[in-house]
Amino acid sequence: MMSLLLDGLIVVALVGLAIQAITGQSLFRGIINFIVFGLTMALAWARIGAPDLAMAEAAIGAGLTGALMMVAYRRLVADEDGHVPTPPRQKSRLAIPIAVGSGLLVGVIGLGALLSDNPPGEAGQLVLETLPEYGLGNAITGVLLLFRGLDTLLEIAVLFTALLAARAVAGTGDSSATARTRHPETPLIGALLAVVIPLTILVAVHLLRAGTYETGGAFQAGAVLAAAGVLLVLSGRVSRTPSAGPLVRLGVLAGLSAFILVGLAPLLYGEALLTLPGMWSIYLIETAMMVSIAVTLILLFADAGGLRRERRG
Amino acid sequence: MSLQDALALIFLLAGCAFYLAGTVGLLRFPDVFCRLHALTKADNVGLGLVCVGLAILNGQPRVASMLLLIWLVGLLAATVSAHLIARHAHEREAPQDQELPRR
Repeated sequence: MMSLLLDGLIVVALVGLAIQAITGQSLFRGIINFIVFGLTMALAWARIGAPDLAMAEAAIGAGLTGALMMVAYRRLVADEDGHVPTPPRQKSRLAIPIAVGSGLLVGVIGLGALLSDNPPGEAGQLVLETLPEYGLGNAITGVLLLFRGLDTLLEIAVLFTALLAARAVAGTGDSSATARTRHPETPLIGALLAVVIPLTILVAVHLLRAGTYETGGAFQAGAVLAAAGVLLVLSGRVSRTPSAGPLVRLGVLAGLSAFILVGLAPLLYGEALLTLPGMWSIYLIETAMMVSIAVTLILLFADAGGLRRERRG
Repeated sequence: MSLQDALALIFLLAGCAFYLAGTVGLLRFPDVFCRLHALTKADNVGLGLVCVGLAILNGQPRVASMLLLIWLVGLLAATVSAHLIARHAHEREAPQDQELPRR
């Protein structure tokens, strides 16, 4: 009874926040509603027993996307000379058909899931049976690396492509319009960073290691690490440069290249592509992917080609 | 209901009461500084009481120490962000009503 009530509350909150986010009077309120929507979505994932998804949703969906929207909003206000932009009043003619179509699609899928009284779940069963051979305890990491290795490899490639595309369309406008505060900074920022940055790195490494046997993995760890980077960029500890230095390039390419090299290696011994030779290869790929995901997300956030440590007097 | 459960319930309810009071203050108070004042009560005491309640409910020292860490990090984040917001509002010298959406 109590849990049903809680689930109902989450569903109502989700729908309400979604409507608020797209129909709000001001862009700023829309952004805030979107962030809260992401956090509520994370709660919903946690409620239906998917902690991996909940963590990714909270870190990427609410945290990083929210911060990205805030920066976009700030730049919009700066471009309009301090005039706060309002969303256009008239709605697209396609809005209602798309909404009805999406609703029908979700309804049909949900109905299908409800009607099939016992989903076969053969792939999941197969994974759970095979995992002990590899010493893996987390079925999701198992699926991502052992069974859907090509999908995961392509996901990293998509992230890399997204960064290239963002760099290609990035304006050459003056780079001083960053998300930095113009006031002299307070000592509190330094204290915050001194505590939060080491803690964030600790959490990221824990998530990476935990990914092999419980909730966690490269994507969550990368997102957490990226959050630390965003904090460093926002507080001016790290500044943007138009082009990447060797270290940043290495970071961006590490995941993709490590995955490709380890994946190609089995061909030399006449085995199938992407057959992972053991636990060490999983740790290697996951670590490289974490670094790449973090660096790519920071670069996307900062709208920068590269990053440089700011020397402070 | 054991003594442990009852104690945890008291702490959790007290924490929720602080959150409720903080939220009401956030919605009803006139300017930025008053609103921050209301929020800090919810953030600091409310979160602390909820963490204490959960630690009692769970009973393991390991979980209790993690909850303590969560509370400390929450305190730090709330303090710094409240300070930054207050500073910004102070520098704009416009803590007036029209700067904020009224409910």
